[in-house]
Amino acid sequence: MSRDKLDQIAEKEQARQSQFDKRVHCCISTACLSAGAGRTIQTLRDSVDAAPTGDEVEVVQTGCMGLCSRGPLVRVQEKSGEEVYYADVDSECAEELVAKTVSWDQAEAKQQELSPELQAVRDRLETARKKRSLKKHILSPDLPFFTKQFKVVLRDVGYVDPEKLEDYLAHGGYEALHKVLTEMSPEQVCDEMLRSGLRGRGGAGFPTGLKWGFVRREESDVKYVVVNGDEGDPGAYMDRTVMEDNPHQVLEGMMIAAYAVGANHGYFYIRAEYPIAVDRIRGAIRAARRHGILGKSVLGTDFSYNADVRIGAGAFVCGEETALMHSIEGKRGVPRMRPPYPSTSGLWGKPTVINNVETLASVPAIIKNGADWYAQIGTEKSKGTKVFALAGQLTNTGLIEVPMGITLREIVYEIGGDVPGDAEFKAAQTGGPSGGCIPNTHMDTPVDYESLQELGSIMGSGGLVIIDSTTSMPEFARFFMDFCVDESCGKCVPCRVGTVQIRTLLDKIIDGRGEPEDLDDLEVLCQLVRSTSLCGLGQSTPNPVLSTLRFFRQEYEALIPSSV
Amino acid sequence: MITLSIDTKTIQVAPDTNVLKAALDNGIHIPHLCYHPELSISGGCRLCLVEVEGQDQPVLSCGLTAAEGMVIQTQSEQLKELRRGVLDLFISDHPLDCVVCDKAGSCTLQEYAYEYGLKETSYEPTVSSTLFQDDNPFFLRDHQYCILCGRCVRVCDEIVGVHAIDFANRGFETNIATPYDGPMIDSTCVFCGNCVQVCPTAALMPVSRLQRGREWDLDRTLSVCGYCGVGCQIEYATKDDDIIYAQAPEHGTANGPFLCTKGRYGWDFATNPERLKQPMLRRDVAHELGLSEEPWELPETSPLDIRKPNVEQYFVPVDWDTALEFVSSRLSEITESHGPDSIMGLASARCTNEDNYLFQKFMRAVIGTNNVDHCARL
Repeated sequence: MSRDKLDQIAEKEQARQSQFDKRVHCCISTACLSAGAGRTIQTLRDSVDAAPTGDEVEVVQTGCMGLCSRGPLVRVQEKSGEEVYYADVDSECAEELVAKTVSWDQAEAKQQELSPELQAVRDRLETARKKRSLKKHILSPDLPFFTKQFKVVLRDVGYVDPEKLEDYLAHGGYEALHKVLTEMSPEQVCDEMLRSGLRGRGGAGFPTGLKWGFVRREESDVKYVVVNGDEGDPGAYMDRTVMEDNPHQVLEGMMIAAYAVGANHGYFYIRAEYPIAVDRIRGAIRAARRHGILGKSVLGTDFSYNADVRIGAGAFVCGEETALMHSIEGKRGVPRMRPPYPSTSGLWGKPTVINNVETLASVPAIIKNGADWYAQIGTEKSKGTKVFALAGQLTNTGLIEVPMGITLREIVYEIGGDVPGDAEFKAAQTGGPSGGCIPNTHMDTPVDYESLQELGSIMGSGGLVIIDSTTSMPEFARFFMDFCVDESCGKCVPCRVGTVQIRTLLDKIIDGRGEPEDLDDLEVLCQLVRSTSLCGLGQSTPNPVLSTLRFFRQEYEALIPSSV
Repeated sequence: MITLSIDTKTIQVAPDTNVLKAALDNGIHIPHLCYHPELSISGGCRLCLVEVEGQDQPVLSCGLTAAEGMVIQTQSEQLKELRRGVLDLFISDHPLDCVVCDKAGSCTLQEYAYEYGLKETSYEPTVSSTLFQDDNPFFLRDHQYCILCGRCVRVCDEIVGVHAIDFANRGFETNIATPYDGPMIDSTCVFCGNCVQVCPTAALMPVSRLQRGREWDLDRTLSVCGYCGVGCQIEYATKDDDIIYAQAPEHGTANGPFLCTKGRYGWDFATNPERLKQPMLRRDVAHELGLSEEPWELPETSPLDIRKPNVEQYFVPVDWDTALEFVSSRLSEITESHGPDSIMGLASARCTNEDNYLFQKFMRAVIGTNNVDHCARL
């Protein structure tokens, strides 16, 4: 399909949307769905049908609005662009919300003939009009939670209907793809990425443009692009959200990568625990095929591209790129030594680009707005924004996107709204089981790749767990060691046996059977596992223990009877 | 050729050679458990770490391709410390019952523990799995001793091509298993025993070897397998003139370090008392020729119907000249009286190609018939 036809679809959709006086967005992402958003959206629709009003109101299913701890979330968007957020919207609240936001027309009410079911809804709406509880559900868009964020990846997430290609097009979707296909050479695309300073959002932070350049320069008839959607850190759901809530954005980023490196086929590798993401990505692929965005002649150019979904069985290690490729090939998901790197010998021995979901989701915006625009966000070495899944003991938890270089203080106290209750903020853990803990004494550390590494942690894929003063750090470390013991693939001995021995030592210390030399032994063992393990998972496994030993050694010492 | 330096020794190797192989081929010893020269690289044992000039961190030599001018150190305090640490973890997950282990003396893990002075593990001994499987007559699988180097999996897949076993489960619970952990006989296993040969520990052991003596009790004799014309070299480990087990030598000319099931396990005929060691002539024929005094008549039952004929009852031993003389005279008589096509020759797969060539030549040129066949075709 040509660009013109896509433009027509986009314009038609924009025109359709602009006829509504009010658009009610209801989040149907996993967190809100599990909080009851399925019922909420049904109630919203029924109520709009039953309400006696002259207003044109559309109820739209959208993706994540960020404040997941207060879900289901609903946003009412006026024609003027003004927005109001509502939190904890259950069915009762949804009725009150509709009853109060639409202009109530008594004359209309008398004329309308309703089915018995809708009449019942109308009756409930009448009662709801008299209630006074809506106010406490209102969230001001001026909250620091919203104002402190800067959205690039999540810009359209929460506004776009993830199951509707037209809506994505109406938000400027596939414009970036069209731009690279018609105006840029593959080399220019790689250069643009390099200039933008975008680094791998899976956690390692390798410059994306450099990676693409390696694959572009490889000579091979067949090359692949793989989207790493095997997000596995406990509590992290950045990639899931982007795949669920704006699947076309990831697909577009993937296709731009494919054009840049010369690939004609690619795979989404998504873990089976993300059924909604799998459905929506599959739906996006089908819709894109139907509209000639995927297939033989992409947007009428001579570039051809196809994408498939491969489902992972949920092994944490399959997020490691070599293990991931083994898994796609149908082999046991274990890592192998590098080199050769995937850029020279990847999937089925062919040059392969593997990028994280968030990395690829950043690409369309960079192409549209230019590398310079992107490079001005963030710090000198860490450009752009980062999405974090804010979890743990905080008032506001959920999904946030912040510019690189923001301080931990701003995230915890302003966006997160501080630790609830009497407890105090103690530490923040980044990077999941591979990361480390940053103590409250380092609150003003800028969040960027280098600063976090200096503190013995990593940026990671975006898990950010806030720990308050009630949590014991040795037990926190043991939780993550349990995770690592379970998730070790068993290929190399330091990770397979070392993790078990680290946990045994932690058990001994936590159970009060520790001896003074155990702490040094623990540190030596952690260093051994770090320096001798085969893959990134094994090498970073001891991080939670090492970083808590570094910053909270006194808590360990307090557990050892003879040293007290 | 690529020139590199390993432990100050200048070495030349072919391009694409890994550093571990370069070192081993030149008499420089680097500890390794998962590496095997004939198999793909795994990198799981983490022992063959070396220091490369210009790189901060030690690198695995098995996965490092030799490059021009590379300077490698295989021994240093740091490397010793790391290897010792890794071995310490290995033996925390391995029974240290070497005093009663059949593999003692040929166990690579034992050798390294000795080299690095590890008397016991400094960790809590935690043996991952005590599963013991003796589901076939050829080898035993004792998972307690398995260090998961994966050599068996790779030899089965890459050399034998049957992929009967693979890693099952994950992490500390990983073990080597057949599909669904079914009996070996139900898998695709052909019982060639190459997995047993490449196993560095006592996890895979020939049944015939158990409690029959350890490495220092055994004599080794290099021989050639008599099963077919390939001529695989074979090494018999014997004790008091009994064969204890057979394996391929490290560098067999035709077979490399591998054997098939016949050569490896089919040697019990060698010391069988019923084995024929000289030619024998049927008693009635021997009597006719004056080689036996007692007259004898073939019983009415056909010898084919007798499942296990008593050889002594039917035959008398004769020397080779007599036997050959008898055969040649009978062949001449039959050819003359009934024509050459009344004779058929059947050759054996256990002969060499040269023997079989000569045999068909003999049948065609000397006897004059094309009636030649071979048991391998049946």
